[in-house]
Amino acid sequence: MRSSILGLAAGLALSAGPAFAQPVVGDERTVRGHLDHAALAEGALSVPALIDAGRVLFSTRFTTLDGAGRPLATASEVPTRRPETGTPPFFRTSGPDANACAGCHIQPEAGGAGDFTANAFVAPQDIEYDFDSISPDLSMERGTTALHGSGLLELLAREMTADLHAQRAEALAQARETGQAVEMPLESKGVPFGVLTALPSGFVDTSQVAGVHPDLIVKPFSQKAVTISLRQFTVTALNAHHGMQAVERFGPHWTGVADFDGDGMAEEMTEGDVTALTLFQAVLPPPVQVLPDDPILAAAAARGEALFGQAGCAACHRPALPLDTPIFTEPGPYNPAGTLRPGEAPVVAVDLRDLWGDWLETDDQGRVLVRAFTDLRRHRIADAETPHFANEVITQNFVPRDQFRTAPLWGVGSTAPYGHRGDLTTLREAILMHGGDAADSRRAFEALSDEDQAAVIEFLLSLQIVPRGPVNPALDRRAEVQP
Amino acid sequence: MSRRLGAIGLAYAVLGAASGPAHAIEPPVFVDEAAAAGIEHAYEGGWEFFVGGGVAVFDCSGDGFPDLYLAGGSNPAGLYRNAGTLGGPLAFEAVADSPTALTDVLGAYPLDIDGDGITDLATLRLGENIVFRGLGDCGFAPANEAWGIDGGQAWTTAFTAIWEADQTLPTLVFGNYVDRDAPGAPWGTCHDHALIRPDGPEGYGPPRRLGPGHCTLSMLFSDWDRDGVPDLRASNDRQYYRGGHEQLWRLQPGVSPRAYGPADGWRQLKIWGMGIASHDLTNDGFPEYFLTSMTDNHLQVLAGTQVGGFGFRGRAELRPAYDDVAFQLDVTLHRPHSGGDAMPSTGWHAEFADVNNDGFTDLFVAKGNVEGMVDFAARDPNNLVLGQADGSFVEAAPAAGLVTYHRARGAAVADLNLDGLPDIVVVNRRVPAELWRNTGSGADQPMGSWVAVRLAQPGGNAHGVGAWIEVRSGAHMWRREVTVGGGHAGGQDGWLHFGVGTAERVEIRAQWPDGTWGPWVRTFANQHVLIRRDEETPLVWYPPPTAQR
Repeated sequence: MRSSILGLAAGLALSAGPAFAQPVVGDERTVRGHLDHAALAEGALSVPALIDAGRVLFSTRFTTLDGAGRPLATASEVPTRRPETGTPPFFRTSGPDANACAGCHIQPEAGGAGDFTANAFVAPQDIEYDFDSISPDLSMERGTTALHGSGLLELLAREMTADLHAQRAEALAQARETGQAVEMPLESKGVPFGVLTALPSGFVDTSQVAGVHPDLIVKPFSQKAVTISLRQFTVTALNAHHGMQAVERFGPHWTGVADFDGDGMAEEMTEGDVTALTLFQAVLPPPVQVLPDDPILAAAAARGEALFGQAGCAACHRPALPLDTPIFTEPGPYNPAGTLRPGEAPVVAVDLRDLWGDWLETDDQGRVLVRAFTDLRRHRIADAETPHFANEVITQNFVPRDQFRTAPLWGVGSTAPYGHRGDLTTLREAILMHGGDAADSRRAFEALSDEDQAAVIEFLLSLQIVPRGPVNPALDRRAEVQP
Repeated sequence: MSRRLGAIGLAYAVLGAASGPAHAIEPPVFVDEAAAAGIEHAYEGGWEFFVGGGVAVFDCSGDGFPDLYLAGGSNPAGLYRNAGTLGGPLAFEAVADSPTALTDVLGAYPLDIDGDGITDLATLRLGENIVFRGLGDCGFAPANEAWGIDGGQAWTTAFTAIWEADQTLPTLVFGNYVDRDAPGAPWGTCHDHALIRPDGPEGYGPPRRLGPGHCTLSMLFSDWDRDGVPDLRASNDRQYYRGGHEQLWRLQPGVSPRAYGPADGWRQLKIWGMGIASHDLTNDGFPEYFLTSMTDNHLQVLAGTQVGGFGFRGRAELRPAYDDVAFQLDVTLHRPHSGGDAMPSTGWHAEFADVNNDGFTDLFVAKGNVEGMVDFAARDPNNLVLGQADGSFVEAAPAAGLVTYHRARGAAVADLNLDGLPDIVVVNRRVPAELWRNTGSGADQPMGSWVAVRLAQPGGNAHGVGAWIEVRSGAHMWRREVTVGGGHAGGQDGWLHFGVGTAERVEIRAQWPDGTWGPWVRTFANQHVLIRRDEETPLVWYPPPTAQR
């Protein structure tokens, strides 16, 4: 496996392919060329240029000439042919439902969150037909989340997965050695994941594992914590929302045909294109706390942060998780088949410290503190008393209907509306809808005085996405390498 | 911001044409590690051993790693304990002084006859068939006397077993070849078979003659019509029979089997039947059968079945009439694909498996001249044909590095190092067996995703022989029947492998041998999953880093 960390100044100038050397009159294609992943791994583009490429792909409004639309394919994450044809090019519920990624991920900038009108309708993978209903019997409605800081979240999840897998291996080794069942508490970065029981026979009982799938892969993305990596999500979303099919899953390698969706276009998204898209999302800078200028509001926000902890909110919405290695490698180590995996292609690596420098806060051990206000695991968030968050009927990817990922709260001051389906207009409403494992914290919040509750809200409003570009200007040397 | 990527100068690859040759995932690369793995074994002997040469794959040591039992013909059979590492090079150690090291063994099938959780072994011999009771740690004891099994004195070349309704012990059928003592042998002197049914939970009654035999080289209990009662299929060698043909017997508890005939729709096919492989290729819930022969291999689908169709048809329509779709699906395999020999090819063991985990079922066929038949290819390499998205098959043995020109006989496609990539063991006449490690694409990945499934239920039929396993991911479904028998003179007892392509997670359910459907059980890919009757959660098994030594 080849791997090299791309530098800001690394890169070779790339020339346009001969077919595109000259402008074409009336050309309505938006993707006029494609990226080669292997070349990217060799440093064919500087990191800023690569991120720019990803940003453009993220924002471009794909046309049928690019391959948009999937007349013969469903939105399923597993390549699946439609049993019928004749569906329209756009389909609000089962998709395709967007021209561009940034059509929804746009607030306050590309990669950000979306309004309620930008909600997506997520069907489980076994929906093989088109559906025109938003009935919870058929779909799960999802608000558009902000992607800022998602590279750090994925890196945290990778390290946590490695921890959990090591603990499973240790439990199995102990059970085999002793001939006794071993109950192993699972934990990573201070976050508990229940108890795994390893049997001497090599079987494991995961019935007491909590917050993570039995495969013990911490999945940091999607409201249900069911998506392993930005790349996995990107490949699925390109197909589902745009009908832009990535070669790495929908190409001949897995489907036997070059044009799986039957739109007359092949190689709609290359591995390199997906790499650029992924890295663009991964390096969207993490949200920050922006204290109000008004000293009264600033003081309230500071007090609200303390109250947030005292109410127990921070038990799940952990203010910070430590990250050992802030180097984002692509493809990621836990990608499943159909999403590019290490060993299938050289690894592109970007050291986030090179991009962000002192934007990153570290602890006394040199670890990056990721202030995302999440524990990256699932909790039961609804109950009979407070059922709002269990407002869907079908399960997504084996996750019970009342369980959701602890939403990262960084940036919530910029990402209204709230809740997994974006149906709550205020943070206060979102807090009051917490049930299940969060019921005690909600009650603690309810028990606060109006003034203290307002302080908590003020604190949350201070967690904001600040548009500032992917590269710390103090470290951006793009001008040095670009003509 | 520009909406045209070209504006930022990143374009340098040009879109390819939308059409072009379509190939699914590439073949894995196989490496023969037999010598390094410690397997030194050849199948030898006179004309009685022109047939046979089977291999049994099962875990006799109890460590979860598959072990091997190889027929030796005039040589002693070889029992080899897996000594490998998880995902590592293949390694085996010969088990010394095993009572299973018999001569005159043509093949063997593993199965847990007494339901004690330890796999037993039925050997097929020239002379008395010996059934061994597994004792654990690769220990065995002859059990014919204890279980009341009459091993006969015939030339046994086939075996299959099924648990009939409410029986603790399985019904055994030993399929016999030529009756050498009959006048005029070997021409037209095919031997009847031995049907051995239990007479209680502890042992067996005397064998009943099942005939007429047509010189059978493979037998398989399989529920071809999904009526809940597997029937007995026999593939027969036209070289020696007179008036014979392929056979299918209807088996009902306590009743003598009845052969299906033309009035039932059964067509009297005459081939040099050598081996049977079964799999639901058409995804309609019914098994297809690949029959090896000399040249005219058949891929049989129920007459009227649409390849690639979905769903069950009305059971009332079902008749045991089969169409041969080998030609349509490019799987006639009638001539050597490599080596330049233009003479017809001779097929033996056949087995379906997904060797690259792309979700499309592949087929391995062992090939080799009977001995010196000049009308057939002398250089006759084995086939590894990869299933394609359109249902056809494409020869991949050369690309997989799997080309040799020995006289192969028995074989097995099994994940010997538990890495999710099925390996291949091949028994050859007169030259050493081959042990092909599947190294995948060399990318340290199992290619596509996979899941290995085993069933567990209370009672004698602990692993659910006769059950059907369904694995689904979205609109995709894979089905396998749990069987004992088929192939050529050898079979497996262990995890059933499903390649599931890009599926990250799957749901699995079983239709148990009594017809009861179990619940859909949710699990993730790339794991060994035990499906327990009436349990809605699976048990996942993690192989140890190394086999026990």
